[in-house]
Amino acid sequence: MTVPLTIALPKGKILSRALSLLEQAGIDTGEVAGDGSRRLIFSSRDGLVRYVLAKDSDVPVYVEQGAADVGIVGQDVIEEMDRDVYEPLQLGLGYWRLVVAGPVNVDHKPMRMWPTVRVATKYPRLARQYFVSQGLAVELIPLHGSIELAPILGLADLIVDVVETGRTLQENGLVEWETIMACQACLIVNRASHKMRLAEITHLIEALSRVIAQQNSDKGPVAGDAGPPILSSFPEEKNGASSINE
Amino acid sequence: MRQRNEVDKRLPYGVKDLFLEDAARKTQAEETLRRVFTTWGYSEVIPPTFEYYESLAARTAPQVQEETYRFFDHEGRTLALRADLTIPTARIVATKLYDLPLPLRFYYVANVFRYQEPLGGQSREFTQAGIELVGVANPQADAEVIALCIEGLQRLGLGNFRVNLGHMGFIRQLFAALELSEGEKLGIWQAIDRKNTARLAEELAAYDANLAASQALRAVPQLFGGIGILDEAERLAPTLPAREVIGHLRSVLTLLQAYRVADYVILDLSEVRGMEYYTGITFEVFVEGFGFPVCGGGRYDNLIGHFGDPKPAVGFAITVERALAARDKLGPRPVPPAVHVVAQSCAHPECLALIRYGRDHAIRIEWDSLGRDEASLLAYAQARGINSVWICTGPGQRLALPQERPVTLEQIR
Repeated sequence: MTVPLTIALPKGKILSRALSLLEQAGIDTGEVAGDGSRRLIFSSRDGLVRYVLAKDSDVPVYVEQGAADVGIVGQDVIEEMDRDVYEPLQLGLGYWRLVVAGPVNVDHKPMRMWPTVRVATKYPRLARQYFVSQGLAVELIPLHGSIELAPILGLADLIVDVVETGRTLQENGLVEWETIMACQACLIVNRASHKMRLAEITHLIEALSRVIAQQNSDKGPVAGDAGPPILSSFPEEKNGASSINE
Repeated sequence: MRQRNEVDKRLPYGVKDLFLEDAARKTQAEETLRRVFTTWGYSEVIPPTFEYYESLAARTAPQVQEETYRFFDHEGRTLALRADLTIPTARIVATKLYDLPLPLRFYYVANVFRYQEPLGGQSREFTQAGIELVGVANPQADAEVIALCIEGLQRLGLGNFRVNLGHMGFIRQLFAALELSEGEKLGIWQAIDRKNTARLAEELAAYDANLAASQALRAVPQLFGGIGILDEAERLAPTLPAREVIGHLRSVLTLLQAYRVADYVILDLSEVRGMEYYTGITFEVFVEGFGFPVCGGGRYDNLIGHFGDPKPAVGFAITVERALAARDKLGPRPVPPAVHVVAQSCAHPECLALIRYGRDHAIRIEWDSLGRDEASLLAYAQARGINSVWICTGPGQRLALPQERPVTLEQIR
């Protein structure tokens, strides 16, 4: 196969964790990590893999469109983008949550008593889905960053955002109100690539599964991980998945 | 006169204009497929573009119903634009052709309408070229349809492609064995659709992992690849009907080997995609380097019965625009050189007779209605990709090429 397998990776904090996982699985990551340059495309030293670095919310788009064969990205982004891709493997690479958060010292009525909720978020689709499922009227205020500012400035009552350690919320006087979903990173695969490059992709999935199963049986966190899993069920599920692979 | 900047250039999102080479390429592809379908014994069916919403919504998933363009007639009845050709064909077979000898073989090349995001060349209006084989439920019919699909795509010039073959029956039999509710099925179905083994394990956590059907369901996302996975599936199949599904697939594959097209086929029992009305085999075609399926098909043994006497049927539809987009990814495709002439205008019967003779021999000849001179015509021909210019050499004379050579009947022939 002369055309390299293209893997889309998200710029940002899970990039280094993803690279370390790939290396452990014996997949050469070439110079991706190294030079701190602004290059967005890299090849492995053996030429078998090509890496593209993209904004996390673009990774499912690259993969759905077939511009990348596979991608690594958080479940929060996968669900928000709602793209037609396979999600064959959960990778860990940190555990975080999508939450509803709001100011600390408000003598608030429960949300169900509110006539309408103003919510600032980078996750308009998931936020809408959540509030609709709770039977609440919601005004969504889509933002692209610094979501925590919105309640402070009165732009919104609440925010929907991801938290890993909770420190950003805390430093901005916010607390978690509700958890919408627990998240980790996932491998996603283009549907056509899954058929046309079956052997390479199966090899990749198996190699990554082995590392993850090993890590889980060691009960140690993934290299560079910020902490233990929030939900203890995740590692067990992954064991389940890898046993099917045998 | 209207100023250019006042012109209303708007076009609704999701539709497109095709002209010149693009229109010609699409028509050429459609003609190719018509020829292939005809040589396999299929005849054309032309259903109306719109009909009652109630008929078109038969046995379709809620998502397809949401994507259907609907409107009202003057009596307030709901009409809809067709979203596929299979349902109208099933209606026609059941309500009008119910007593014809079977099997019936129909093809269509027609536009369909879906309110969805344009993706991979498939807009909100797109063209389906497909077939339906009615009245046969056996592996022979399934194999014929797959082999025909492969030949059609080969003739379109698609190189490396794969038919991803699945069967709705396998998972349905596993569901039946576990006696799942509709709600439970949905979660499991979605997890399998995404090949999300972790979510599938969650969904199945409530079921005894030792139950054969539960074990089989857990393994389903891994049941893809070559013919070897049928052995594994057979081992996992908990009931006789589930094993019969595997036996059926084996027969289809054996026949496809005889057609010498088995190399195009890969199996995927976790592929639960497709129309709600599918009951048996399902398949999609993927092309190397192109992210979206260019064709979908499957068996639907209960759809015709919705409109009349039940009859088994199987078919597929190629999205012509996607097949062309996938072919374009393989690199520029040489346009077959065809003689295309612009002839200088004049009023000589001899010249017009020569033009008529050329057209009779299928040469494409434009008569220059503007009355331009030789230099202008050469420039025009170059700008439009016209490869021949005929010049009038005077009264009583014949048209000639600019190189002073007369155009002769022999040349035309």
